[in-house]
Amino acid sequence: MGSDFFEITVNFIKIAVIFLLMVQMVPLLVWVERRGSAFIQNRFGPNRIGPLGLVQNLADLVKFLCKEDFLGHKGRKNFFYAAPVLSLIPAALAFGAIPLSSPVTIQAFEWLGRSWGPYTFYFQSFVISIGIVFVLGVSSLAVYSLLLAGWSSGSKFSLYGALRASAQAISYELALSLSIVGILLLFSTFSFSEIIAAQNNPLQFYFFGKQVSIPFLPNWGIFYQPLGAILLFVALFAEANRLPFDLPEAEAELVAGYHTEYSGVKIIMFYMGEYGHMLVASALMVTFYFGGYTLWPFLTPEKLNLLFSSFHPSWNSILTSLILHGVFMLKLLFFLWVFIWVRWTLPRFRYDQLMDLGWKTLLPWALVNTIVTGVWIFLMRSF
Amino acid sequence: MAEPVFVLLSFLVLYGALITVLHRDMVVCALHLAGSMLALAGLFFILGAHFIAGVQVVVYAGAVMVLFVMVVMLFDLKRKNYILFSGGLWPKLASLFFLTGLIAGVFPLSLHLFHPQSAQALKTTSTKELSSLLFTEYVLAFEVLGILLLLIAVGVAVLCRPKREGPADVMNTKKKE
Amino acid sequence: MDVGLNHFLLVSLLLFIIGLFGVMTRRNLLVILMSVELMLNAVNLSFVTFSQFYSLLSAQVAAFFVMTISAAEAGVGLALIVLISRQWTGTDLSSLEDSPK
Repeated sequence: MGSDFFEITVNFIKIAVIFLLMVQMVPLLVWVERRGSAFIQNRFGPNRIGPLGLVQNLADLVKFLCKEDFLGHKGRKNFFYAAPVLSLIPAALAFGAIPLSSPVTIQAFEWLGRSWGPYTFYFQSFVISIGIVFVLGVSSLAVYSLLLAGWSSGSKFSLYGALRASAQAISYELALSLSIVGILLLFSTFSFSEIIAAQNNPLQFYFFGKQVSIPFLPNWGIFYQPLGAILLFVALFAEANRLPFDLPEAEAELVAGYHTEYSGVKIIMFYMGEYGHMLVASALMVTFYFGGYTLWPFLTPEKLNLLFSSFHPSWNSILTSLILHGVFMLKLLFFLWVFIWVRWTLPRFRYDQLMDLGWKTLLPWALVNTIVTGVWIFLMRSF
Repeated sequence: MAEPVFVLLSFLVLYGALITVLHRDMVVCALHLAGSMLALAGLFFILGAHFIAGVQVVVYAGAVMVLFVMVVMLFDLKRKNYILFSGGLWPKLASLFFLTGLIAGVFPLSLHLFHPQSAQALKTTSTKELSSLLFTEYVLAFEVLGILLLLIAVGVAVLCRPKREGPADVMNTKKKE
Repeated sequence: MDVGLNHFLLVSLLLFIIGLFGVMTRRNLLVILMSVELMLNAVNLSFVTFSQFYSLLSAQVAAFFVMTISAAEAGVGLALIVLISRQWTGTDLSSLEDSPK
């Protein structure tokens, strides 16, 4: 956590800010989703309250707060109330482990009559050496909230929705994990920051023992693993329960799936969980395949440090980190927009088509991707 | 090592395990088992075995327990009152006696058997060392496990396959129509 | 009090005993399977504890194998239980005494 008062305070504030960042993206994303869907379907969307309908979400929030707190008579109270909270926790934990910008180093300084040692603050809630395994594990826990919600509602529709959701999540988890293996093999690390550091270079690889370098392209994972990127993106759609994979809440068949019986603030928490998963998914795509917070050759930590070299080193580090955070957020917003774009463009799958896609298409291709990557790396490096 | 963290985690592990064994409702059992396994992952983490902790979360809490909870929810729709314990008074008393004896016998043994190692600081296992051991010395076992998993997958698929009607049956149903 | 080897082993022992208790006393197949998982977890805890305190990495490899095997065991066990509950009347051990449907 930290060695002295200053470090602990900053770390606490940092964790709170990153959590709030995730939560505060939700109203923005809801607005983008509604306006975006209206744009795609040639409608106006919410445009009455506030400029561009931006205050509509506040009005909706007031409406949600006024809803009746309902529990069906066959429902189970404890689990019913625990489920929405459980849907928020995995997304928050996973998002906290992903580095959002370069670490900030603060030089030793004098303040309040004593000297405070040099610090390094990482631009993420907590640093874990096995970050990728952690994120995978934590996001696989999100299924419990769906199962609990469906089961504790005491309603048939909810239970069917929950069972479908969990079957879908288990099926796509395999393809998800396997599609990352290629990237792990290439960069040979489990830590996010090392993967990002490896991508902050010109594209260079071994081709039959010779080192080939392409100086105008960044060393991003997408150039090595295009198939893996597509597989991961599809699997992430299914994990986040977004259309075209939103079978669990298929309106025509199951009313609203696992959250049929929920109302008011509890349903907002489910939405937060869903959008939080979208955020984590986009952040994973950015980190694995698109260079994370770096944008070689223009915006790299080294170049920005040079640019701000006339400032005090601490301010230099802070400014660099903030600009790189902006780069990360721009990439993140692009992928979030793709999520929304796809939702309003593609039709929904049938359930058996969904299972076929998961088990008969994604999983074999992910296996092939893994094997080919392994053999390729072995061949190219052993010459 | 952080002592309060250890106490909290081990309390959660044992509490979850006890509820798993003692509760009548199977869904509650399965959920507490999942919680217990998560806390166990926390114990692995403070021991310094980070990779094993991650695998514990992914495999146990993520996959195995979700499977359990799904199956249990399929069964629990009837909410029958399951028989918790069987047998008369004497078998119960005898097993209680054995249990107490087991705890009383093994606990002091476990305290004296090993040298106290608390002074030494635990170092974090690097994933690289673990994986190089896994893929050199134990690679045969690793491969065998892979084959085992494949066999299991095929076996379960065969077990749970819906029974197809034979050709004769198909003929019959067609005739009836 | 400093947390040492014995404390982890004690937790492992208690966990194993609780699991054993569940296997011996419960009448429901699913809960018996869950108790078996508890026992496997207890063994894993002692494996990892020894590996960390005596720097024996092989023990962690063993824990890894135990996890894999117990996942396989859970898969087969659950499939069998689903089949049993279809053939007999429920997932209770006593229902197995009757003849199948």
